[in-house]
Amino acid sequence: MDESTRDARFHAVPEEAEQALPCADSFAGKASRAFLRRVPIWPVIDFLARKKVPQHKHSFWYTLGSMGLFFLLVQIVTGVLLMIYYSPSQPWSSVQRIVMEIPFGGLIRSIHHWSANLMLLALFVHLFSTFFMKAYRPPRELTWLTGLALLGTTMFLGFSGYLLPWDDLSFFATRVGISELEKMPVLGQWIAGLVRGGPDVTVDTIGRFYPLHVVVLPLLLLSILGVHLFFVQVQGVSEPDSFRALPPEKKKYHKFFTEYLVNEIPIWMALTALLVALSALFPRVLAPEADPGAAAPEGIKPEWYFMVPFQMLKLFPGSLEFLGMALTGLIPVLFLVVPFVDRTVPADRRGQMVARIGIGFLAFLVGMTVWGWMS
Amino acid sequence: MTDGGRCEVRPAPQQEKVDKGRRRFLWVTGGLGLAWLGLSAYPVYRYIAPRPAPDPFGKEGRAAVNKVAPADVAAPGSGANGSYGQRGCIVFRTTQGELRAFDSKCTHAGCNVNFAGDRISCHCHGGVYDFEGKNVAGPPPRPLTPLSVFEENGVLYVAPAEKKQEV
Repeated sequence: MDESTRDARFHAVPEEAEQALPCADSFAGKASRAFLRRVPIWPVIDFLARKKVPQHKHSFWYTLGSMGLFFLLVQIVTGVLLMIYYSPSQPWSSVQRIVMEIPFGGLIRSIHHWSANLMLLALFVHLFSTFFMKAYRPPRELTWLTGLALLGTTMFLGFSGYLLPWDDLSFFATRVGISELEKMPVLGQWIAGLVRGGPDVTVDTIGRFYPLHVVVLPLLLLSILGVHLFFVQVQGVSEPDSFRALPPEKKKYHKFFTEYLVNEIPIWMALTALLVALSALFPRVLAPEADPGAAAPEGIKPEWYFMVPFQMLKLFPGSLEFLGMALTGLIPVLFLVVPFVDRTVPADRRGQMVARIGIGFLAFLVGMTVWGWMS
Repeated sequence: MTDGGRCEVRPAPQQEKVDKGRRRFLWVTGGLGLAWLGLSAYPVYRYIAPRPAPDPFGKEGRAAVNKVAPADVAAPGSGANGSYGQRGCIVFRTTQGELRAFDSKCTHAGCNVNFAGDRISCHCHGGVYDFEGKNVAGPPPRPLTPLSVFEENGVLYVAPAEKKQEV
């Protein structure tokens, strides 16, 4: 017997835990009981063990968040690997070395690129599936808001990472992006100067984007993600109205540990295969080194997730530009207010209207993106 | 709490019971705390504050044009993209034979425009300028920044347009 059972500094193991844990003679039983005497978190373990996920025809849409999480893990692993050879003082040539000289360097860089794109795609689909399933309604407003913050942080990660290879595409994309920020009233110029490190995009800008991309934004992302997942755990997964309306005997659930989690593994394996296939078939090119004096390359376009502001810039020329940027700036605001406008369960007329507006809005975003991509 | 936490039913603090020494202590530590944060933040802000760009024209008030030689712009209608300092420029000779230069930074979103022979255009959002540097099509809101350009000992130089020098 452990000395801890007789000492007041230790906690008692709850009766339910005694029932659930492996028998007290085994090593696992001894270790788990010794742990619970020191760290009394049985209620948390019990809560997680009871966690269940509703099973219904819309279940597929519920895996999008976990896909985003998978791509985030890939980003962390490949990002740390890229940091080994990347040098912010020789940005372009160090990336060229990764691609040309380092074994599998091109593959790891391409996976980082594709995983970033697919992570954003998964998050956008996650956003719209929770939107159309109306999972943002009370009591889950804060989960929705933290989710939007995660998407925003991920887009900033994409923007800050895009500059780091210092090729002509990334140079002009960053110059355009920051010059739009600069036109924001009041604080625009100050913020733009601060992120650029001066009046123009130079190697000094990399000095800022690099720590933002590899330290500041990832820490921010992981912190918000912790809160987001904590809310999901505490409140449980949202049930769509169609499932909620079922009689109790018809409602089917998966236990999260380990039934649901095990079912995710094949999805994660398929996504790994997809990443490798995309990276092999469409490796990320390294364009010529940025030349701040040269003309912008022909056919230059931003990544697809910045195509909407790109098209808006072309559609609202000259003095109308401010209007175009103001409309673009309104997009996140619309998403922010949704849980405070549409609150009723099951959906009432206002809820149906919000869904219809959402369909129109999704069509607008997809349309602008495709148009920008084709133009 | 039985009143549901509503503010109006909470008992008002009894003024005579307030410990003045404690209150003063909290104000002083709060103030010191803010001063401490401010003092710590100031050098951090100065450290990351943007640095002014070096004057591309330097002490001499002019800058050599890189990547464009006088021979490249000798014929009427010819021109090219070049650079001066850390900035881009376009240098060209009009069909009337006048040598001109503009800073190539597009006034719309900051890409560098391209001298395309028959026009000056921007690949980013489709802006077009005429050979006076005037914005004539697409989104740019203002004309290009003009530069004065001259040749000396086989090298092209640009200078701010207002300090026009002999060509």
